[in-house]
Amino acid sequence: MFKKGWVSLLLIFLPFVAGIVAFIFIIIYSGSISPFLLTADFGFFAFVFGLTIRNLGVIVLALGLFTTLLLGVLYYRSLRRQEQTQMLLSEAEREAELGRRRFLRRLDHEIKNPLTGLRAALVNMQEAQAGEDQARAVGNAEHAVERLTRLLTDLRKLSDLGERPIELGPVDVPDLLQDVVEAAHVLPAYGGREVNLLIPKVPSPFPMIIGDRDLLVLAVYNLVENALKFTYPTDSVEIRLGEDGRAILIEVADSGVGIPPDDVSKIFEELYRGSNARSTEGSGLGLALVNRIIALHDGQINVRSSQEEPRGTVFTVRLPVGKKGLTRLTPV
Amino acid sequence: MSLNRPTLLLADDDPTIADSLAPFLERAGFHVLVVSDGMSAFEKAQAHHPELIILDVLMPRMDGRETLRRLRKANIWTPTILLTQVGEASERALALEEGADDYLNKPFDPHELLARIRAVLRRVRPGQRSLSAAWLLTAGSLSLDRRARRATLAGATVELTPKALSVLEYLMTHPDEAVTRERLLEAVWGWEYPAGTRTVDTRMAELRRALDDDPAEPRFIETIPGEGYRFIAPVHGEG
Repeated sequence: MFKKGWVSLLLIFLPFVAGIVAFIFIIIYSGSISPFLLTADFGFFAFVFGLTIRNLGVIVLALGLFTTLLLGVLYYRSLRRQEQTQMLLSEAEREAELGRRRFLRRLDHEIKNPLTGLRAALVNMQEAQAGEDQARAVGNAEHAVERLTRLLTDLRKLSDLGERPIELGPVDVPDLLQDVVEAAHVLPAYGGREVNLLIPKVPSPFPMIIGDRDLLVLAVYNLVENALKFTYPTDSVEIRLGEDGRAILIEVADSGVGIPPDDVSKIFEELYRGSNARSTEGSGLGLALVNRIIALHDGQINVRSSQEEPRGTVFTVRLPVGKKGLTRLTPV
Repeated sequence: MSLNRPTLLLADDDPTIADSLAPFLERAGFHVLVVSDGMSAFEKAQAHHPELIILDVLMPRMDGRETLRRLRKANIWTPTILLTQVGEASERALALEEGADDYLNKPFDPHELLARIRAVLRRVRPGQRSLSAAWLLTAGSLSLDRRARRATLAGATVELTPKALSVLEYLMTHPDEAVTRERLLEAVWGWEYPAGTRTVDTRMAELRRALDDDPAEPRFIETIPGEGYRFIAPVHGEG
Protein backbone atom coordinates (compact mmCIF):
# COMPACT_ATOMS: atom_id res chain seq x y z
CA MET A 1 0.00 0.00 0.00
CA PHE A 2 2.70 2.49 1.02
CA LYS A 3 5.80 3.17 -0.93
CA LYS A 4 8.98 3.67 1.00
CA GLY A 5 10.09 7.32 0.94
CA TRP A 6 9.58 10.82 2.27
CA VAL A 7 6.22 11.30 0.50
CA SER A 8 4.72 8.49 2.57
CA LEU A 9 6.25 9.91 5.78
CA LEU A 10 4.81 13.34 4.96
CA LEU A 11 1.37 11.78 4.41
CA ILE A 12 1.60 9.94 7.72
CA PHE A 13 2.40 13.08 9.68
CA LEU A 14 -0.16 15.18 7.82
CA PRO A 15 -3.14 14.33 10.14
CA PHE A 16 -1.06 15.14 13.24
CA VAL A 17 0.09 18.45 11.78
CA ALA A 18 -3.47 19.16 10.65
CA GLY A 19 -4.63 18.39 14.20
CA ILE A 20 -2.13 20.89 15.65
CA VAL A 21 -3.12 23.55 13.12
CA ALA A 22 -6.82 22.98 13.81
CA PHE A 23 -6.16 23.12 17.55
CA ILE A 24 -4.30 26.43 17.24
CA PHE A 25 -7.00 27.77 14.94
CA ILE A 26 -9.74 26.88 17.40
CA ILE A 27 -7.83 28.53 20.20
CA ILE A 28 -7.29 31.70 18.20
CA TYR A 29 -10.91 31.67 17.03
CA SER A 30 -12.19 31.38 20.56
CA GLY A 31 -10.02 34.38 21.53
CA SER A 32 -7.94 32.76 24.22
CA ILE A 33 -4.19 32.28 24.17
CA SER A 34 -4.09 29.66 26.87
CA PRO A 35 -6.24 26.75 25.66
CA PHE A 36 -6.02 24.53 28.73
CA LEU A 37 -7.27 27.24 31.02
CA LEU A 38 -10.20 28.03 28.80
CA THR A 39 -13.62 27.42 30.24
CA ALA A 40 -15.85 29.40 27.90
CA ASP A 41 -18.54 27.48 26.06
CA PHE A 42 -18.20 27.01 22.35
CA GLY A 43 -21.58 28.08 21.04
CA PHE A 44 -23.36 25.52 18.93
CA PHE A 45 -21.13 22.51 19.75
CA ALA A 46 -21.52 23.14 23.42
CA PHE A 47 -25.22 23.28 22.97
CA VAL A 48 -25.40 20.00 21.09
CA PHE A 49 -22.62 17.90 22.58
CA GLY A 50 -21.89 19.68 25.76
CA LEU A 51 -18.37 20.22 24.58
CA THR A 52 -16.15 23.00 25.68
CA ILE A 53 -13.87 24.54 23.15
CA ARG A 54 -10.93 23.18 25.12
CA ASN A 55 -12.33 19.65 24.81
CA LEU A 56 -12.90 20.07 21.09
CA GLY A 57 -9.34 21.30 20.53
CA VAL A 58 -7.90 18.40 22.46
CA ILE A 59 -10.14 15.91 20.63
CA VAL A 60 -9.02 17.24 17.21
CA LEU A 61 -5.44 17.05 18.34
CA ALA A 62 -5.88 13.48 19.64
CA LEU A 63 -7.65 12.41 16.44
CA GLY A 64 -4.75 13.74 14.39
CA LEU A 65 -2.24 11.99 16.59
CA PHE A 66 -4.24 8.71 16.49
CA THR A 67 -4.53 8.80 12.69
CA THR A 68 -0.82 9.46 12.37
CA LEU A 69 -0.02 6.56 14.70
CA LEU A 70 -2.40 4.27 12.79
CA LEU A 71 -0.87 5.25 9.46
CA GLY A 72 2.57 4.76 10.97
CA VAL A 73 1.74 1.20 12.00
CA LEU A 74 0.26 0.46 8.56
CA TYR A 75 3.34 1.97 6.92
CA TYR A 76 5.65 -0.18 8.98
CA ARG A 77 3.68 -3.36 8.25
CA SER A 78 3.48 -2.58 4.58
CA LEU A 79 7.25 -2.07 4.47
CA ARG A 80 7.79 -5.38 6.22
CA ARG A 81 5.53 -7.14 3.77
CA GLN A 82 7.34 -5.58 0.84
CA GLU A 83 10.65 -6.70 2.30
CA GLN A 84 9.34 -10.23 2.66
CA THR A 85 8.03 -10.29 -0.92
CA GLN A 86 11.35 -8.95 -2.09
CA MET A 87 13.13 -11.70 -0.19
CA LEU A 88 10.86 -14.38 -1.67
CA LEU A 89 11.35 -12.91 -5.12
CA SER A 90 15.11 -12.87 -4.89
CA GLU A 91 14.91 -16.39 -3.49
CA ALA A 92 12.90 -17.44 -6.56
CA GLU A 93 15.34 -15.61 -8.81
CA ARG A 94 18.25 -17.38 -7.16
CA GLU A 95 16.43 -20.67 -7.59
CA ALA A 96 15.76 -19.92 -11.27
CA GLU A 97 19.37 -18.94 -11.76
CA LEU A 98 20.50 -22.18 -10.13
CA GLY A 99 18.09 -24.12 -12.33
CA ARG A 100 19.42 -22.35 -15.41
CA ARG A 101 23.01 -23.14 -14.49
CA ARG A 102 22.10 -26.75 -13.77
CA PHE A 103 20.37 -26.94 -17.14
CA LEU A 104 23.38 -25.48 -18.96
CA ARG A 105 25.73 -27.86 -17.17
CA ARG A 106 23.60 -30.81 -18.20
CA LEU A 107 23.25 -29.47 -21.75
CA ASP A 108 27.00 -29.07 -21.98
CA HIS A 109 27.35 -32.69 -20.96
CA GLU A 110 24.73 -33.91 -23.41
CA ILE A 111 26.38 -32.07 -26.31
CA LYS A 112 29.95 -32.89 -25.33
CA ASN A 113 29.60 -36.64 -25.67
CA PRO A 114 28.22 -36.91 -29.18
CA LEU A 115 30.59 -34.15 -30.35
CA THR A 116 33.59 -36.02 -28.99
CA GLY A 117 32.35 -39.13 -30.75
CA LEU A 118 31.90 -37.16 -33.95
CA ARG A 119 35.43 -35.73 -33.83
CA ALA A 120 36.93 -39.14 -33.20
CA ALA A 121 34.90 -40.59 -36.05
CA LEU A 122 36.12 -37.85 -38.40
CA VAL A 123 39.74 -38.56 -37.49
CA ASN A 124 39.13 -42.24 -38.14
CA MET A 125 37.56 -41.43 -41.48
CA GLN A 126 40.65 -39.50 -42.52
CA GLU A 127 43.14 -42.05 -41.30
CA ALA A 128 41.42 -45.38 -41.83
CA GLN A 129 41.75 -47.24 -45.08
CA ALA A 130 38.58 -47.57 -47.10
CA GLY A 131 36.76 -50.63 -45.92
CA GLU A 132 35.47 -51.89 -42.64
CA ASP A 133 37.20 -49.31 -40.42
CA GLN A 134 35.97 -46.41 -42.48
CA ALA A 135 32.46 -47.76 -42.64
CA ARG A 136 32.46 -48.04 -38.85
CA ALA A 137 33.70 -44.45 -38.51
CA VAL A 138 30.92 -43.23 -40.80
CA GLY A 139 28.42 -45.24 -38.77
CA ASN A 140 29.68 -43.69 -35.53
CA ALA A 141 29.54 -40.19 -36.98
CA GLU A 142 25.97 -40.74 -38.10
CA HIS A 143 25.06 -42.05 -34.67
CA ALA A 144 26.52 -38.97 -32.98
CA VAL A 145 24.65 -36.69 -35.36
CA GLU A 146 21.42 -38.55 -34.64
CA ARG A 147 21.91 -38.01 -30.91
CA LEU A 148 22.50 -34.30 -31.35
CA THR A 149 19.52 -33.99 -33.66
CA ARG A 150 17.27 -35.76 -31.17
CA LEU A 151 18.46 -33.49 -28.39
CA LEU A 152 17.76 -30.40 -30.46
CA THR A 153 14.37 -31.68 -31.58
CA ASP A 154 13.28 -32.35 -28.02
CA LEU A 155 14.57 -28.97 -26.84
CA ARG A 156 12.52 -27.35 -29.56
CA LYS A 157 9.44 -29.31 -28.59
CA LEU A 158 9.85 -28.15 -24.99
CA SER A 159 10.18 -24.50 -25.94
CA ASP A 160 7.37 -24.79 -28.50
CA LEU A 161 5.03 -26.17 -25.85
CA GLY A 162 5.33 -22.97 -23.88
CA GLU A 163 4.50 -20.81 -26.86
CA ARG A 164 2.11 -22.36 -29.29
CA PRO A 165 -1.58 -22.63 -28.46
CA ILE A 166 -2.79 -26.18 -27.95
CA GLU A 167 -5.54 -27.44 -30.21
CA LEU A 168 -8.32 -28.62 -27.94
CA GLY A 169 -10.96 -31.13 -28.90
CA PRO A 170 -12.72 -34.16 -27.49
CA VAL A 171 -10.30 -37.06 -27.16
CA ASP A 172 -11.25 -40.74 -27.15
CA VAL A 173 -8.69 -42.07 -24.68
CA PRO A 174 -9.10 -45.85 -25.29
CA ASP A 175 -8.52 -45.19 -29.00
CA LEU A 176 -5.51 -43.02 -28.19
CA LEU A 177 -3.96 -45.76 -26.03
CA GLN A 178 -4.55 -48.32 -28.76
CA ASP A 179 -2.75 -46.02 -31.16
CA VAL A 180 0.22 -45.66 -28.80
CA VAL A 181 0.55 -49.42 -28.28
CA GLU A 182 0.47 -50.05 -32.02
CA ALA A 183 3.08 -47.36 -32.63
CA ALA A 184 5.33 -48.74 -29.88
CA HIS A 185 5.64 -52.02 -31.82
CA VAL A 186 8.27 -50.51 -34.08
CA LEU A 187 10.55 -49.55 -31.17
CA PRO A 188 13.72 -51.63 -30.98
CA ALA A 189 13.18 -51.91 -27.22
CA TYR A 190 9.82 -53.54 -27.88
CA GLY A 191 11.56 -56.75 -28.90
CA GLY A 192 8.45 -58.75 -29.67
CA ARG A 193 7.04 -58.60 -26.18
CA GLU A 194 3.49 -58.01 -25.13
CA VAL A 195 2.36 -54.63 -23.84
CA ASN A 196 -0.79 -55.24 -21.82
CA LEU A 197 -3.49 -52.72 -22.49
CA LEU A 198 -6.29 -52.79 -19.92
CA ILE A 199 -9.34 -50.77 -20.86
CA PRO A 200 -12.44 -51.06 -18.66
CA LYS A 201 -15.67 -52.20 -20.28
CA VAL A 202 -17.71 -50.04 -17.90
CA PRO A 203 -18.57 -47.16 -18.17
CA SER A 204 -19.33 -47.42 -21.84
CA PRO A 205 -18.54 -45.37 -23.77
CA PHE A 206 -15.54 -44.33 -21.74
CA PRO A 207 -15.71 -40.63 -20.77
CA MET A 208 -14.08 -38.31 -23.26
CA ILE A 209 -11.64 -35.68 -22.17
CA ILE A 210 -10.92 -32.32 -23.71
CA GLY A 211 -7.38 -32.08 -24.90
CA ASP A 212 -4.87 -31.96 -27.70
CA ARG A 213 -4.83 -35.53 -28.98
CA ASP A 214 -1.48 -35.20 -30.73
CA LEU A 215 0.22 -33.92 -27.60
CA LEU A 216 -1.39 -36.56 -25.40
CA VAL A 217 -0.25 -39.30 -27.79
CA LEU A 218 3.26 -37.92 -27.47
CA ALA A 219 3.07 -37.91 -23.68
CA VAL A 220 1.76 -41.46 -23.28
CA TYR A 221 4.10 -42.70 -26.00
CA ASN A 222 7.07 -41.27 -24.12
CA LEU A 223 5.98 -43.05 -20.94
CA VAL A 224 5.56 -46.36 -22.76
CA GLU A 225 8.87 -45.93 -24.57
CA ASN A 226 10.57 -45.31 -21.21
CA ALA A 227 8.91 -48.36 -19.69
CA LEU A 228 10.20 -50.49 -22.56
CA LYS A 229 13.67 -48.94 -22.59
CA PHE A 230 14.36 -49.33 -18.89
CA THR A 231 13.22 -52.93 -18.55
CA TYR A 232 14.43 -56.31 -19.72
CA PRO A 233 12.58 -58.36 -22.31
CA THR A 234 11.43 -60.66 -19.49
CA ASP A 235 9.71 -57.77 -17.67
CA SER A 236 6.07 -56.84 -18.13
CA VAL A 237 4.79 -53.49 -19.31
CA GLU A 238 1.19 -52.57 -18.74
CA ILE A 239 -1.06 -49.63 -19.62
CA ARG A 240 -4.15 -49.33 -17.46
CA LEU A 241 -7.05 -46.98 -17.89
CA GLY A 242 -9.46 -45.98 -15.15
CA GLU A 243 -11.75 -43.16 -14.09
CA ASP A 244 -13.30 -41.79 -10.92
CA GLY A 245 -16.07 -39.60 -12.29
CA ARG A 246 -14.05 -36.39 -12.23
CA ALA A 247 -10.91 -37.51 -13.96
CA ILE A 248 -9.52 -40.32 -16.02
CA LEU A 249 -6.40 -42.14 -14.90
CA ILE A 250 -3.79 -43.56 -17.22
CA GLU A 251 -1.20 -45.77 -15.59
CA VAL A 252 1.93 -46.95 -17.31
CA ALA A 253 3.46 -49.68 -15.22
CA ASP A 254 6.47 -51.92 -15.58
CA SER A 255 8.12 -54.64 -13.53
CA GLY A 256 11.62 -53.31 -14.20
CA VAL A 257 14.45 -52.54 -11.78
CA GLY A 258 12.77 -49.40 -10.48
CA ILE A 259 14.06 -45.87 -9.97
CA PRO A 260 16.50 -45.17 -7.11
CA PRO A 261 14.70 -43.19 -4.34
CA ASP A 262 17.14 -40.27 -4.70
CA ASP A 263 16.23 -39.88 -8.36
CA VAL A 264 12.44 -40.08 -8.09
CA SER A 265 11.92 -36.40 -7.24
CA LYS A 266 14.20 -35.22 -10.04
CA ILE A 267 13.23 -37.34 -13.04
CA PHE A 268 10.83 -34.71 -14.40
CA GLU A 269 13.60 -32.10 -14.52
CA GLU A 270 14.97 -31.13 -17.89
CA LEU A 271 18.02 -33.16 -18.92
CA TYR A 272 18.19 -34.98 -15.61
CA ARG A 273 19.43 -38.50 -15.96
CA GLY A 274 18.93 -40.98 -13.16
CA SER A 275 21.93 -42.98 -12.03
CA ASN A 276 20.69 -46.09 -13.82
CA ALA A 277 19.58 -44.21 -16.93
CA ARG A 278 22.95 -42.90 -18.04
CA SER A 279 23.78 -45.82 -20.24
CA THR A 280 20.42 -45.74 -21.99
CA GLU A 281 19.88 -43.75 -25.17
CA GLY A 282 17.67 -40.70 -24.93
CA SER A 283 17.67 -36.93 -24.86
CA GLY A 284 16.98 -36.66 -21.13
CA LEU A 285 14.00 -34.47 -21.96
CA GLY A 286 11.27 -37.07 -22.41
CA LEU A 287 9.74 -36.90 -18.94
CA ALA A 288 10.09 -33.11 -18.78
CA LEU A 289 8.08 -33.03 -21.99
CA VAL A 290 5.45 -35.40 -20.59
CA ASN A 291 5.21 -33.31 -17.45
CA ARG A 292 4.65 -30.14 -19.43
CA ILE A 293 2.03 -31.67 -21.70
CA ILE A 294 0.06 -32.99 -18.72
CA ALA A 295 0.31 -29.62 -16.96
CA LEU A 296 -1.04 -27.91 -20.10
CA HIS A 297 -4.09 -30.16 -19.75
CA ASP A 298 -4.61 -29.22 -16.08
CA GLY A 299 -3.64 -32.76 -15.19
CA GLN A 300 -1.19 -34.31 -12.77
CA ILE A 301 1.50 -36.88 -13.12
CA ASN A 302 2.93 -38.95 -10.29
CA VAL A 303 5.38 -41.76 -10.07
CA ARG A 304 5.86 -44.53 -7.53
CA SER A 305 8.71 -46.91 -7.82
CA SER A 306 10.26 -49.71 -5.85
CA GLN A 307 13.60 -51.39 -6.27
CA GLU A 308 12.71 -54.15 -3.83
CA GLU A 309 10.18 -56.93 -4.28
CA PRO A 310 7.58 -56.35 -5.59
CA ARG A 311 9.73 -54.34 -7.98
CA GLY A 312 8.52 -51.92 -10.57
CA THR A 313 7.57 -48.41 -11.55
CA VAL A 314 4.11 -46.92 -12.08
CA PHE A 315 3.51 -43.54 -13.70
CA THR A 316 0.01 -42.23 -13.05
CA VAL A 317 -1.47 -39.52 -15.24
CA ARG A 318 -4.65 -37.85 -14.08
CA LEU A 319 -6.62 -35.83 -16.61
CA PRO A 320 -9.84 -33.99 -15.76
CA VAL A 321 -12.95 -35.14 -17.64
CA GLY A 322 -14.49 -32.48 -19.88
CA LYS A 323 -17.95 -31.01 -19.68
CA LYS A 324 -21.00 -33.23 -19.62
CA GLY A 325 -22.38 -34.45 -22.89
CA LEU A 326 -19.09 -34.39 -24.69
CA THR A 327 -19.24 -38.14 -25.21
CA ARG A 328 -21.70 -37.43 -27.98
CA LEU A 329 -19.19 -35.44 -30.01
CA THR A 330 -17.02 -37.09 -32.60
CA PRO A 331 -13.42 -37.46 -31.57
CA VAL A 332 -10.81 -35.30 -33.27
CA MET B 1 26.04 -20.94 -66.36
CA SER B 2 26.34 -24.36 -67.80
CA LEU B 3 23.97 -25.83 -70.30
CA ASN B 4 21.47 -28.51 -69.34
CA ARG B 5 22.34 -28.25 -65.68
CA PRO B 6 19.74 -26.34 -63.70
CA THR B 7 21.27 -23.46 -61.76
CA LEU B 8 20.63 -23.20 -58.04
CA LEU B 9 21.31 -20.12 -55.96
CA LEU B 10 22.25 -21.09 -52.43
CA ALA B 11 22.29 -18.34 -49.79
CA ASP B 12 23.55 -19.27 -46.34
CA ASP B 13 25.90 -17.26 -44.15
CA ASP B 14 27.37 -20.32 -42.47
CA PRO B 15 30.39 -21.34 -44.57
CA THR B 16 30.43 -24.93 -43.29
CA ILE B 17 26.87 -25.42 -44.49
CA ALA B 18 27.30 -23.73 -47.85
CA ASP B 19 30.68 -25.40 -48.38
CA SER B 20 29.30 -28.86 -47.78
CA LEU B 21 25.95 -28.45 -49.52
CA ALA B 22 27.34 -26.92 -52.73
CA PRO B 23 29.51 -29.90 -53.76
CA PHE B 24 26.72 -32.26 -52.74
CA LEU B 25 24.25 -30.46 -55.00
CA GLU B 26 26.83 -30.22 -57.79
CA ARG B 27 27.25 -33.99 -57.62
CA ALA B 28 23.48 -34.31 -57.86
CA GLY B 29 23.63 -32.57 -61.24
CA PHE B 30 23.06 -28.91 -60.46
CA HIS B 31 25.11 -25.83 -61.11
CA VAL B 32 25.37 -24.05 -57.76
CA LEU B 33 25.94 -20.36 -57.06
CA VAL B 34 26.78 -19.60 -53.44
CA VAL B 35 26.22 -16.29 -51.63
CA SER B 36 26.42 -15.50 -47.95
CA ASP B 37 23.86 -12.75 -47.42
CA GLY B 38 20.42 -11.68 -48.56
CA MET B 39 21.51 -8.60 -50.49
CA SER B 40 23.89 -10.63 -52.69
CA ALA B 41 21.19 -13.25 -53.13
CA PHE B 42 18.79 -10.58 -54.37
CA GLU B 43 21.37 -9.23 -56.83
CA LYS B 44 22.50 -12.64 -58.06
CA ALA B 45 18.92 -13.77 -58.54
CA GLN B 46 18.30 -10.83 -60.86
CA ALA B 47 21.58 -11.19 -62.73
CA HIS B 48 21.76 -14.96 -63.22
CA HIS B 49 18.13 -16.11 -63.36
CA PRO B 50 18.65 -19.35 -61.43
CA GLU B 51 16.05 -22.09 -61.73
CA LEU B 52 15.65 -22.26 -57.96
CA ILE B 53 16.73 -20.31 -54.88
CA ILE B 54 17.55 -21.78 -51.48
CA LEU B 55 17.42 -19.11 -48.80
CA ASP B 56 18.49 -19.33 -45.20
CA VAL B 57 16.26 -17.22 -42.95
CA LEU B 58 18.78 -15.70 -40.55
CA MET B 59 21.39 -13.90 -42.64
CA PRO B 60 23.32 -10.64 -42.37
CA ARG B 61 22.47 -7.49 -44.35
CA MET B 62 19.08 -8.78 -45.43
CA ASP B 63 17.39 -11.82 -43.97
CA GLY B 64 15.93 -14.56 -46.13
CA ARG B 65 12.37 -13.49 -45.59
CA GLU B 66 13.01 -9.90 -46.61
CA THR B 67 14.97 -11.11 -49.64
CA LEU B 68 12.05 -13.25 -50.73
CA ARG B 69 9.60 -10.40 -50.21
CA ARG B 70 11.70 -8.11 -52.38
CA LEU B 71 12.09 -10.72 -55.09
CA ARG B 72 8.35 -11.25 -55.27
CA LYS B 73 7.78 -7.50 -55.24
CA ALA B 74 10.14 -7.21 -58.19
CA ASN B 75 7.92 -9.79 -59.89
CA ILE B 76 10.56 -12.48 -59.78
CA TRP B 77 8.77 -15.77 -59.25
CA THR B 78 11.80 -18.06 -59.16
CA PRO B 79 10.81 -21.03 -56.99
CA THR B 80 12.30 -20.68 -53.54
CA ILE B 81 12.95 -23.00 -50.64
CA LEU B 82 13.34 -21.36 -47.24
CA LEU B 83 15.64 -22.91 -44.67
CA THR B 84 14.03 -22.00 -41.38
CA GLN B 85 15.95 -22.22 -38.18
CA VAL B 86 13.05 -22.22 -35.83
CA GLY B 87 10.42 -24.90 -36.02
CA GLU B 88 7.61 -22.69 -34.92
CA ALA B 89 4.31 -22.89 -36.65
CA SER B 90 4.16 -19.12 -37.06
CA GLU B 91 7.39 -19.15 -38.99
CA ARG B 92 6.15 -21.81 -41.37
CA ALA B 93 2.92 -19.95 -42.00
CA LEU B 94 4.98 -16.85 -42.74
CA ALA B 95 7.12 -18.77 -45.18
CA LEU B 96 3.99 -19.51 -47.19
CA GLU B 97 2.70 -15.99 -46.83
CA GLU B 98 5.79 -14.62 -48.51
CA GLY B 99 5.53 -17.00 -51.40
CA ALA B 100 8.13 -19.61 -50.55
CA ASP B 101 7.53 -22.81 -52.49
CA ASP B 102 8.72 -25.02 -49.72
CA TYR B 103 10.60 -24.92 -46.47
CA LEU B 104 12.89 -27.16 -44.54
CA ASN B 105 13.79 -27.14 -40.88
CA LYS B 106 17.42 -27.12 -39.84
CA PRO B 107 19.04 -29.49 -39.17
CA PHE B 108 18.00 -31.44 -42.26
CA ASP B 109 19.32 -34.40 -44.18
CA PRO B 110 20.90 -33.14 -47.45
CA HIS B 111 19.00 -35.87 -49.29
CA GLU B 112 15.77 -34.35 -48.02
CA LEU B 113 16.81 -30.99 -49.46
CA LEU B 114 17.54 -32.66 -52.78
CA ALA B 115 14.13 -34.31 -52.77
CA ARG B 116 12.49 -30.93 -52.06
CA ILE B 117 14.46 -29.24 -54.86
CA ARG B 118 13.46 -31.90 -57.36
CA ALA B 119 9.82 -31.82 -56.26
CA VAL B 120 9.65 -28.03 -56.54
CA LEU B 121 11.33 -28.02 -59.96
CA ARG B 122 8.94 -30.68 -61.18
CA ARG B 123 5.96 -28.71 -59.95
CA VAL B 124 6.94 -25.33 -61.25
CA ARG B 125 5.44 -23.92 -64.45
CA PRO B 126 7.86 -21.46 -66.03
CA GLY B 127 6.77 -17.84 -65.96
CA GLN B 128 3.78 -18.62 -63.75
CA ARG B 129 3.45 -17.66 -60.15
CA SER B 130 3.59 -20.81 -58.07
CA LEU B 131 0.67 -22.25 -56.13
CA SER B 132 2.53 -21.51 -52.89
CA ALA B 133 2.13 -17.81 -53.58
CA ALA B 134 -1.56 -18.05 -54.47
CA TRP B 135 -4.19 -16.97 -51.98
CA LEU B 136 -7.04 -18.87 -53.47
CA LEU B 137 -6.62 -22.49 -54.52
CA THR B 138 -9.28 -24.33 -56.44
CA ALA B 139 -9.58 -27.96 -57.46
CA GLY B 140 -12.89 -28.69 -59.11
CA SER B 141 -15.67 -27.89 -56.66
CA LEU B 142 -13.21 -27.50 -53.79
CA SER B 143 -11.67 -24.16 -53.02
CA LEU B 144 -9.38 -23.02 -50.26
CA ASP B 145 -9.08 -19.40 -49.20
CA ARG B 146 -5.74 -19.37 -47.45
CA ARG B 147 -6.07 -15.88 -46.06
CA ALA B 148 -9.48 -16.48 -44.50
CA ARG B 149 -8.47 -20.04 -43.53
CA ARG B 150 -11.66 -21.39 -45.02
CA ALA B 151 -12.40 -24.25 -47.37
CA THR B 152 -15.58 -24.56 -49.40
CA LEU B 153 -16.99 -27.52 -51.29
CA ALA B 154 -19.52 -26.63 -53.98
CA GLY B 155 -20.02 -23.29 -52.26
CA ALA B 156 -20.65 -24.67 -48.78
CA THR B 157 -18.13 -24.15 -45.99
CA VAL B 158 -16.26 -27.30 -44.96
CA GLU B 159 -15.92 -27.64 -41.19
CA LEU B 160 -12.27 -28.44 -40.45
CA THR B 161 -9.95 -28.23 -37.47
CA PRO B 162 -6.95 -25.91 -37.97
CA LYS B 163 -4.61 -28.91 -38.39
CA ALA B 164 -6.79 -30.59 -41.00
CA LEU B 165 -7.00 -27.30 -42.87
CA SER B 166 -3.20 -26.99 -42.83
CA VAL B 167 -2.91 -30.56 -44.13
CA LEU B 168 -5.27 -29.69 -46.98
CA GLU B 169 -3.30 -26.53 -47.68
CA TYR B 170 -0.02 -28.43 -47.87
CA LEU B 171 -1.47 -31.08 -50.17
CA MET B 172 -3.11 -28.52 -52.45
CA THR B 173 0.09 -26.52 -52.79
CA HIS B 174 1.93 -29.75 -53.65
CA PRO B 175 -0.45 -31.38 -56.09
CA ASP B 176 0.44 -34.61 -57.83
CA GLU B 177 3.30 -35.13 -55.42
CA ALA B 178 3.75 -38.12 -53.14
CA VAL B 179 3.76 -36.53 -49.69
CA THR B 180 5.01 -38.81 -46.92
CA ARG B 181 3.55 -38.82 -43.41
CA GLU B 182 6.92 -37.64 -42.09
CA ARG B 183 6.88 -34.69 -44.47
CA LEU B 184 3.36 -33.73 -43.40
CA LEU B 185 4.31 -34.03 -39.74
CA GLU B 186 7.30 -31.77 -40.23
CA ALA B 187 5.45 -29.25 -42.37
CA VAL B 188 2.16 -29.06 -40.48
CA TRP B 189 2.94 -30.20 -36.95
CA GLY B 190 6.49 -28.88 -37.00
CA TRP B 191 7.66 -31.77 -34.90
CA GLU B 192 8.96 -35.18 -35.34
CA TYR B 193 6.37 -37.56 -34.07
CA PRO B 194 6.78 -41.13 -33.03
CA ALA B 195 6.76 -43.02 -36.31
CA GLY B 196 3.84 -45.37 -36.58
CA THR B 197 1.26 -43.30 -34.70
CA ARG B 198 -1.99 -42.56 -36.47
CA THR B 199 -1.52 -38.81 -35.93
CA VAL B 200 -1.57 -38.00 -39.65
CA ASP B 201 -4.08 -40.70 -40.57
CA THR B 202 -6.57 -39.38 -38.01
CA ARG B 203 -6.49 -35.92 -39.61
CA MET B 204 -6.64 -37.42 -43.06
CA ALA B 205 -9.76 -39.37 -42.10
CA GLU B 206 -11.31 -36.14 -40.77
CA LEU B 207 -10.38 -34.33 -43.98
CA ARG B 208 -11.80 -37.05 -46.20
CA ARG B 209 -14.99 -37.20 -44.20
CA ALA B 210 -15.39 -33.43 -44.51
CA LEU B 211 -14.63 -33.47 -48.24
CA ASP B 212 -16.83 -36.51 -48.77
CA ASP B 213 -13.88 -38.18 -50.47
CA ASP B 214 -13.98 -41.96 -50.71
CA PRO B 215 -10.49 -43.43 -50.14
CA ALA B 216 -11.37 -46.31 -52.45
CA GLU B 217 -12.33 -43.95 -55.25
CA PRO B 218 -10.73 -40.64 -54.38
CA ARG B 219 -11.56 -37.39 -56.11
CA PHE B 220 -8.99 -35.39 -54.16
CA ILE B 221 -6.68 -37.34 -51.88
CA GLU B 222 -5.18 -40.65 -52.86
CA THR B 223 -3.43 -42.98 -50.43
CA ILE B 224 -0.11 -44.34 -51.61
CA PRO B 225 0.30 -47.53 -49.61
CA GLY B 226 3.43 -47.55 -47.48
CA GLU B 227 4.36 -44.05 -48.63
CA GLY B 228 1.84 -41.36 -47.90
CA TYR B 229 -0.69 -39.28 -49.76
CA ARG B 230 -1.12 -37.50 -53.04
CA PHE B 231 -3.50 -34.72 -54.06
CA ILE B 232 -4.70 -35.94 -57.44
CA ALA B 233 -7.10 -33.22 -58.64
CA PRO B 234 -5.58 -30.45 -60.76
CA VAL B 235 -5.13 -27.28 -58.69
CA HIS B 236 -5.42 -23.69 -59.90
CA GLY B 237 -4.11 -20.72 -58.00
CA GLU B 238 -5.37 -17.16 -57.98
CA GLY B 239 -4.26 -13.91 -56.39
